[in-house]
Amino acid sequence: MSGSFFQQLCLAFICYVIAMNAYGADNPPPAGIFENSACIECHQKTSPKLISDWRTSSHASSEPLADCIACHGKLHESTAVTARRDSACIECHGGNKSPVVHSYTTSKHGVLMQLERKSYDWKQPLSGAKYRSPGCSYCHMRGADHNVNNMVRSDLMNVNAVNDVEIETRKVCQDCHAPRYIISLLVSGEDMLEIARKKVREANTLVTQATEDFSNDELEPARKIILTMQKHLKNVYLGAGHQSPDYQWWHGQPALDGDLLRIKGIVGELHRKKSSAIH
Amino acid sequence: MRSRYMWIPLILVIIAIVAGFQYIDWRQSGTGAGLYSHDWSPDPIQRYWDPVNFYKAPDTIQGVLEMAQCIQCHEAITPGIVNDWKASRHSQATEAVTCPDCHGSDHEQLHLPTPEVCGSCHTKQHTEFLDEARHGFPSHVLAMDRAVDAPHFVDKPKAEVQSCVQCHSVATKCDSCHTRHRFSAAEARRSEACITCHSGPPHPDDETYFSSAHGQIYLQEGDEWDWSKPLQKGNYKAPTCAYCHMDEGRHQVTEKSMWKFGIKEINPNTSSNKVLRERWVKRCTDCHEPQQARQWLKELDLERKSAWKKLYSAESILRSVRFNDAFFPAAGDRPTYPSSTWDRYFPRERIGFYEGQASAFYNVSPIERDYFEMWYFENLGAYKGAAHGDKSMVTKNHEAMDNSLQQIKQHAETLLKRKDTEADKTTNKKLWLEGEYTEFNRENN
Repeated sequence: MSGSFFQQLCLAFICYVIAMNAYGADNPPPAGIFENSACIECHQKTSPKLISDWRTSSHASSEPLADCIACHGKLHESTAVTARRDSACIECHGGNKSPVVHSYTTSKHGVLMQLERKSYDWKQPLSGAKYRSPGCSYCHMRGADHNVNNMVRSDLMNVNAVNDVEIETRKVCQDCHAPRYIISLLVSGEDMLEIARKKVREANTLVTQATEDFSNDELEPARKIILTMQKHLKNVYLGAGHQSPDYQWWHGQPALDGDLLRIKGIVGELHRKKSSAIH
Repeated sequence: MRSRYMWIPLILVIIAIVAGFQYIDWRQSGTGAGLYSHDWSPDPIQRYWDPVNFYKAPDTIQGVLEMAQCIQCHEAITPGIVNDWKASRHSQATEAVTCPDCHGSDHEQLHLPTPEVCGSCHTKQHTEFLDEARHGFPSHVLAMDRAVDAPHFVDKPKAEVQSCVQCHSVATKCDSCHTRHRFSAAEARRSEACITCHSGPPHPDDETYFSSAHGQIYLQEGDEWDWSKPLQKGNYKAPTCAYCHMDEGRHQVTEKSMWKFGIKEINPNTSSNKVLRERWVKRCTDCHEPQQARQWLKELDLERKSAWKKLYSAESILRSVRFNDAFFPAAGDRPTYPSSTWDRYFPRERIGFYEGQASAFYNVSPIERDYFEMWYFENLGAYKGAAHGDKSMVTKNHEAMDNSLQQIKQHAETLLKRKDTEADKTTNKKLWLEGEYTEFNRENN
C-alpha cells in the first residue's frame, strides 16, 4: 500500500517537473486569442504527441481543414470545453440531418446527451465515465486522443480492416458496459455489416457480368443504384457503430434489399429485350 | 338413433381443440421463440434484447455477493453504471434498491431485470403495461411477439434481424424508455425518450412531432420546464409524446389506439372508435376547445380516406397483374421465403395487409416493392404528419403516393403486354435465384 502511494507521489512529482519545464513557474498557460500557427508552435513543445496524433489523422488534411481553432475556438481559456461538445463536430460533419449525425442523435447516447448536456461538467476529461452519456469526442477522441482515425473504418467493403478499431472501441464502451455485452454487440455489428456487404457484392457482380452483354448507357440506371447502395451500406455501419436501430434497419438493410431487387429488375428486363429481339 | 352417435363428433371436436393447443405449445418449444421457434436459433446478442427467453449469466465470476462487493468491483470495471445508480432514486430511497434486488446475488445466476422484476415494486405501471395486450397490435407489451412471429424475421439471417429486436425489446425490459441505471421518470416524459425507435421511414414520429407547433414549442422552451411534474393538465405548456399517448402517465399506449399505425384502413365511425375518439378529444381539451379538436380529427379522417383510395387503386392494379400471371419475376421464379412450405408448393405474390404485405419488401419484383414503399413509407409518413400536425409531411407524402401510383400504373401496363422470352427460362431464372446474399439468405436463416 505504502509502495503504491510512493509511486503515485513520484509520478505526481515527475508530472510537476514536466509541466514546470514546459511553462516555467511564472509562465502559466496563456490566456487570450490565438491563431493556429501559435497553437502548434507552443504545443509541439508542451504536448508533442497531441500534435503528431492530429497530423496523422484525417483532420489534418481535410477540406475544410479541422485545425486547432476549428474545433477549440480561438480563446485559450475555453479551448477544451468548446471542443468536447458535440457542437464542435456537427457542422463540418454535415449538420443535424446528415446520417452520421442523425444516427447518433437518435441513439440512446445521443438522446441522453440532448436531455442532460446542460447538467454535465464539461471541464471533466474524456474518460472514466465522467459524462453520463458519451458525445462525439468521448468515443472518437477518448482521453484526448487526437488521431480520430483510430475509431473509424475508412473502407467499408474491406473485411479485414477491423481489429484496431475494435480494440479501441472496447476500451471506450467498457467505461459503462459489461465486457461480454460489448463483445456481443461488436460481433453482431460486424455480422450486420458483412450481410450488407454481401448485398453490395451481389449487385456489383451482377452489373459487372451484365457489361458483357449490354452497353454502358443501358446499364446506367443500374449503376446509379449501385452508388445509392454505398450510402445504404454506410447507414448500416453508422447504425451499428452509433447504436441506432433505425439506421441499421430502415435506412440500411431493407433499403439495400430494394436496391438489389431493382438492379435485378433492370438487368432482367434488358435480357428479355435482347432475347425477344433475337427471336 | 341419431342422438345415440352424437358423442362421436363431440369427442372429435374436443380432441381437435386439445391437439390444437398442444400443437401451438409444441411450435413454441424450439430453440428460438414464438410461433416459428423450431425454425431458428438466436444469435448471442439476442440474449440482451430478449432476456426472459435467452439470457444466461456469464460464468467468469463465481460466488454469492453482497451489495458492497458489487459496487467495489464495478466501480473499477464499469464506473458509469455505478455513477448512474448512485444518482438514481433507487439509491436514495429510504430503503435503497440495490444491485442484488434486481439482478440476484449469485453472480453465476444473474438475470437482467424484466418488466416483472420492475413490476414487483412498480405494480401500477406494470399492470397498465400488461393491460395493453387487450388491444392487440400495435402495442409495446406485444412488440417482441410481433417481431419474432414476422415471416421476414424467421426467413432472414439472424444477424441481420437483430436490428428489429433492439426496438421490439420494449416489451421485454423497461430501460427502453427509462435508461439504465438511472431509470428516470422525468427522462421518459420527454419526447426524445421515444425517438430511438419512433424514427425513420415507416414511423417518422420524431420528424413530424418536432416540426409541429407542439414540437416547436417543446424544442424552444422544453429544457426549462420542470420535468418532475406528472403529465397532467396545466403542468406543461406543450405536450410531449407521453403527454398525449400515455394519459396522465398511464403505462398504456393502446387504450386510445384507433388508427393502428396507419397500416390498415379503419372505420372511424364504429361505436368503439367513437369512444376512442372522445378520449382523444378529452386529451386535446386540456388546452384546446373540443370543437377544434373534433375538427382536427375530421381532417385526419379525410386524409386517411384519401390515402386509402390511392392505396386501393394500387392494390387493384397489382391484383390484375397477378390475375394475368404477369409479374416479373413470377412468385415461382424468385427465392421463396424459406420458412414457408406453402409458398414453395403454391407460390403466390402477397398483396395488401391481410396477405402479408409487411414482409413483401425483399424477394419480390420491383413493382411490388414500389407498392411496399408507397404503403409502408409514404402512406405511414402522411398519416404521422396528419396525426401530429405536420402539414408539410402530409403534402410531401401524398405527392409521393400520387407519383408511385402513376409509376405502378405504367409499370403494370408494360408487364401486362409482356410475353415470355427465351431469356426468362435461362438467364433470368439464374438472375433471381443466385447471388452471394440470395444464396446466403437461403442457407442461413
